[in-house]
Formats: sequence, C-alpha cells, structure tokens
Amino acid sequence: MKNTTLAFAFVSPALLFLLAVLGWPLVQAAILSFQDVGVIGSEGHFIGLGNYATILGDAGFWRALGRSVVWVLSNALVQTLLALAAALILNQKFPGVRIARTWIILTWIVPTVVVVIIWRWLLSPSGGMINPLLIQAGVIERPVGFFATREGAMTTLIMINSWRWFPFTTLMMLAGLTRIPGDLYEAARIDGAGTFQRFKRITWPLLQPTLMVLGVVGTLLSFNVFDVIWLLTAGGPSGATQTLPVLIYETAFKGYRLSEAATISVLTSILLMGFAFLTTRAMTAAEADR
Amino acid sequence: MMGPTRFLTIAGFAATLLAGTAYAEPVDLTVWHMEQPPHRVQRMKELLDEFNAAHPDIQVKQEPQSWGEVYAKAPAAFAAGNGPDLLFTIPDFTTVLKGINVVVPVDDLVKDLDSKHGFVEATLAPYKYDDHVWAVPAYNMAISLWYRNSVLKAAGVEVPKTWSEWQAAAEKLSTDGKSGIGLPANKQLYTDQTVYSFMVNSGAGDLYNDDGSIAFDKPETVKAYDFYSKLAKFSPADNSTWTWGEAEACFANSSCGMILQFGVINTYETQAEGDAADLGVAPVPHADDESASATISYSNAIMLTTKDEAKQNAAKVFLTWLLEPANYGRFLTMEPGLFLPVTNDGAKAESFWSDKTVTKYKSQVETMIANSQTGKLFGFTTGKVFPSIGAISAQNVIAETLQRVVVDGQSAADAARPGRRVCPKSPPNSGHAGERS
Repeated sequence: MKNTTLAFAFVSPALLFLLAVLGWPLVQAAILSFQDVGVIGSEGHFIGLGNYATILGDAGFWRALGRSVVWVLSNALVQTLLALAAALILNQKFPGVRIARTWIILTWIVPTVVVVIIWRWLLSPSGGMINPLLIQAGVIERPVGFFATREGAMTTLIMINSWRWFPFTTLMMLAGLTRIPGDLYEAARIDGAGTFQRFKRITWPLLQPTLMVLGVVGTLLSFNVFDVIWLLTAGGPSGATQTLPVLIYETAFKGYRLSEAATISVLTSILLMGFAFLTTRAMTAAEADR
Repeated sequence: MMGPTRFLTIAGFAATLLAGTAYAEPVDLTVWHMEQPPHRVQRMKELLDEFNAAHPDIQVKQEPQSWGEVYAKAPAAFAAGNGPDLLFTIPDFTTVLKGINVVVPVDDLVKDLDSKHGFVEATLAPYKYDDHVWAVPAYNMAISLWYRNSVLKAAGVEVPKTWSEWQAAAEKLSTDGKSGIGLPANKQLYTDQTVYSFMVNSGAGDLYNDDGSIAFDKPETVKAYDFYSKLAKFSPADNSTWTWGEAEACFANSSCGMILQFGVINTYETQAEGDAADLGVAPVPHADDESASATISYSNAIMLTTKDEAKQNAAKVFLTWLLEPANYGRFLTMEPGLFLPVTNDGAKAESFWSDKTVTKYKSQVETMIANSQTGKLFGFTTGKVFPSIGAISAQNVIAETLQRVVVDGQSAADAARPGRRVCPKSPPNSGHAGERS
C-alpha cells in the first residue's frame, strides 16, 4: 500500500466524523440560506439569493462585522501582550515556578458562567469591589457602570475575555520558549548581548512559528466567542457589543428569521475559511523559506 | 384435558389482559414553566405530587425553563419533536408558537372553566383571536410603584401621582449615594415592561395602527421616552444591565428609593425589613395632562401543545384541578404577593388569602389587584393581534429604542423615529393579523 493511501486510511475516520458533525450542518445552513424560513420548525420556500442581497445590503451586518474585527484585533493584542509577559516570567527559574505554571491556567478552566458571575459582581456599582477601589485610588468620584456606555462595555468585555483566555496563549508560548536551545542565550551572553538584544535577536524570531499558529487559532476562537458577550451584555448597550455571532443568534431566535441567520452564518464561514486558508498558506511559505 | 400449548396460550392471554387493566401505564404530561426560583419550583412540585397522588392514571412532571431562552428553545424543541405537553406563556409568546401550529385551541375547556370560576375578561382577551382561545389564563401580573413610607416621609415627599411630582420625588430621594428611583435601561423584557408603563400613562398604549403599521413615533410615545430618560438619570449607573432581580435587590437593600416592579413583597419580607406597615405600593404615576393612572398587565396562561388525544384529556383534567379554588390559591402563592388571580372565585379563595405572607401584606395585595384592573399590554390593545408582536417582544424593540436615548444620547424624537425602521419584519410565513373574537 502506498504511503498516501495509508495516510488517507488513517485520517478517514476523523474526516468522516468531521463531515458528519460539521459538513452536514454547513450544507443544511447553506440550503436554509436560499429559503425564507422564519421560526424554527416552520415551512420555507426557495427564494434564491434574496437573503444574500438583504444581508449584504443591511448596514447592521456590516456594523456587526466591524465590531467583530475590533473584537478580534483587540483581544489578540491584549492577550498576546499579557501572555508574552507571563510566559517570559514563567520561563525563568525561581522558587514556586511549577505552582505558578499550574495556577495560571485557573482562569481558563473556570466555566464561562462562573467567570461572568464573578465579573458582574466585581464590577457592579452597587456592592462590587472594583468601584470602591477606584474611588479610593482617586480614579473616579462616584460608581460607574462598566457596561453602561458603548465604549466602556466593549472595552470591559475585551478585558474580561482576555483575562479568561490569556493563560491558554501563555501555555502555548511557554511551550515555544522551552524549545529554544539554552546554548543560543549562552552564546549571545558571551558575545555581550543584553536582555533586550537577546529577546529581539533570539526569543522573538524563534517564537514566530508559535505566534503564527496562535494567530490563526486565536482569531478563529475569538471571532466565534458568543457566551461571554451574550451573558454579560447580550450585545448591548444599544448594539455596541453585537458581534456577528450575537447578530446570528438574535436574527434566528429573537427576530425569527432563521434563513437570514443562516445566510450570515454562511457568509461568516466563508470569511473565516478564507482567512484560515490564506494564513495557512502564508505559514507554509514562511516555513519553506526557513 | 387441556394440552400444555393451549394452557400456555390461554394463560398468556389472561396475563396480558390483567396487565392491561390492572397496570395500565399512566399518561405522562410534561409541563414547561418559567418560574425558576427554587421556592416556586418547590411549590409546583408539591402541587404536582398532590395531583399525581390523587390521579394515578396521570403523571405530571415539571421542567423549569427561563424566559430569556424559551423564545428560542421552545420552537426548536417542537421542531425536534421534544416539546412539552403544557407550556406556560404570555400573550406575545403564544403568537410565536401559534405561527408554527403547535398550539391546540382550548375553547371548550375555557368555556367550562369560565362557567365554573368566572375568568376576569381582561386576562382572557389577549388569548382570544382567530375564532379560538389559545391558552388557559393562570395568573395575572401588573406593574406598580413600590416605595418605603418612612423614606418618603423623611424626604418630605408625598406619594407621586403625576409625572412632575414623580420627578421631584426622585430628585429629592437621590441623596447620599442613594438612587431616587431604580429604572432599568437594559435591552430586555423588564425594560420593555417599564417603558410601556410610561407609554400607557401618556396615552401611547396602542403600539399598532389599525393597518398593522407600528405607531411608534407618536408625540405621546416620544413624551414617554423623554420622561423615562429624565427619570432614569436618578437610577444606578449599571441599570443598562438590569433585569427584575437587580431592581428588587436595589429596593431591598435601600439603594433605590422607588422602583417599578410587579411585586417585591417576598424579597422585602425575606431579604429586607419585612415591615408591612412601611412598604408602600401605588399606581404608576401618569403624565400631567392625563387624568388617571394605567399600567402594564400580563396575564400568564398555559397552552396545550400536544396532539395526542389521551394527553389532551389528561391535561384538561390537570388544568381543571389547578383552577379549583382549594388548589388555585396555593398555586398563586408560589410567589406570595406577585401572582394575582384571574378568576372571580380565585380572587376570593381562602387558599389565597390565608397564605401568611398575603395575610401580612393584605393591603398591598389589594392595591396590586386594583392596579391590575387598569392594565394593558403592548400589541394587544386594538382588538387585532398582529403576528409581528412576537418578534417585537422577543427583540425588545421598545427597550432598544430607549437605549438610543439613554445610552446613545439621542433625543427621544430621533430615537422613536427610527423605531419604525428597527421594528422587525414579521417572521416569514407567520400569518396575518388575527381578529379578536
């Protein structure tokens, strides 16, 4: 048996499984997007590309897409900075480093609902801990509603989501850092390179493959975050945190326009698959160059 | 002599017959309700256990759901063939499920129950259209203004009756980090309800024109939004995330001087002072140029959602049992002082008035019942029921428009104008307006 055939034989069970649990629903969503189904369970008729024309001509869709882009980029920036700092610290040798490495994943393993409840209470203007601390520090004069304004709500959500997810990124980066041979740092030190030089010339370049993978995985995960947003703001206030997943849910289950929601889902899938395809190709090319 | 084969055949036949008669499987009914707090679930359990014990041929079980999710979950469950047999509802939710043909008319049952107990007509009306009755009313709820007599007295404030008095009261009560009033500004059903309480008090109770278009940017509606946004300035900063619980908590811990709520008695009794003489309740104040107060009133009801005839019959037995005055009062007092009777004999039922919390807060409960008499419900005021009301309610269009004022800083007139645009299209294939029968 040829190697290629053997490889296909090995991956075929996984491929078949994915086809069943991802491919089939995607096909169903695509079929639904060409119909005019309202409430789930009701009958629909074929209407061609009508839903696509409606959605692509709807300013609400583009605004939600814009918010999703802001959401993904902001989360990527905050999480990368936090994770890089944490990973560099955890890559050092100091007493208790093992405990610290285990401890840091705590926020990631806590269920979303618990995270939401914790932050709601912490940030509540009546009884929460954050407001009194900020008042004592002289940052604010009176309690503020962190989810009360458009900018405040989005910023707070990004910080909470980043707080939740940066340990995952930290662990990935830590794995990347531990793969960098210690000899390189030793040689650089002998050559007189300082801390920043060592980071710039060794750590950062050799961490690139890990960062690229994180960029793709993180973007896809981040883009599809629904639970934290829905549970904390439900897309509000006044639509300020309505990203595409929230828009899909609201269109399907609150607006009872299931086919339009399926259309947004299909468009989102195309967008994300395109992104994944292009970045994977770029990564492969970069790998070949190395 | 009987051969062994013949003996076994006859014995088997007899055993089957006996098993069929003596051990007939009971009819199982599943009820979905949205009364999630543990003490309500417990009271429902007690009632169901009692019913099941008295009716061995019927077994009813409850599956509590949440209002936040049931609009999405129920249609999906019915589509998957896993829907409940009985489903608690409010009028706009009924239009959604009726649109996908899962609701069974209950004309005969309601007629029978009406002759026995006498339904309060206003609680039945939102479920009567398209020549049928689509649900059995179960309990009524109406929003009132809640306050503490001692707090108003200390601030030198009379119970407000008009909007100008109300604004002055909220201003005076806003001191020392306390909020004069707790009004929600979340995109959620509670905000829909409180905003509509303002709308009915400025003459903007009708959400629809006769032709089904949305009458949203009327001067009366704009006036209601404008005044709501002024009053909301005296509310806590996090009111854009509030649901019913946060408002009650704000009142219970004395952070809010007044709130608009269906009921606070149980929370006040269990988590606050519990001083019946100090707890005040009054009608929602009206605009200065209106002559009387009105409010939003919801009759919650129970839909029959099974096509199985045996289950339908069993459900009718259960609903008949539930509305018997001896049982009905205990059903209503699953949340004492919140759920109001929908039947005339229920309003007099010993089982209702003998509840210790209801007894203690009798005057408040009587005021709540009186307030409910002036209740209206958005989308159900013109005698026609338009299918888009389900989507309007599910998408919280009323609350969303408020957020344009409170969060985005738009003027009430500007916010209400796009109301026509943001009001959702009727879901496809959801039918036409139903005439009230």
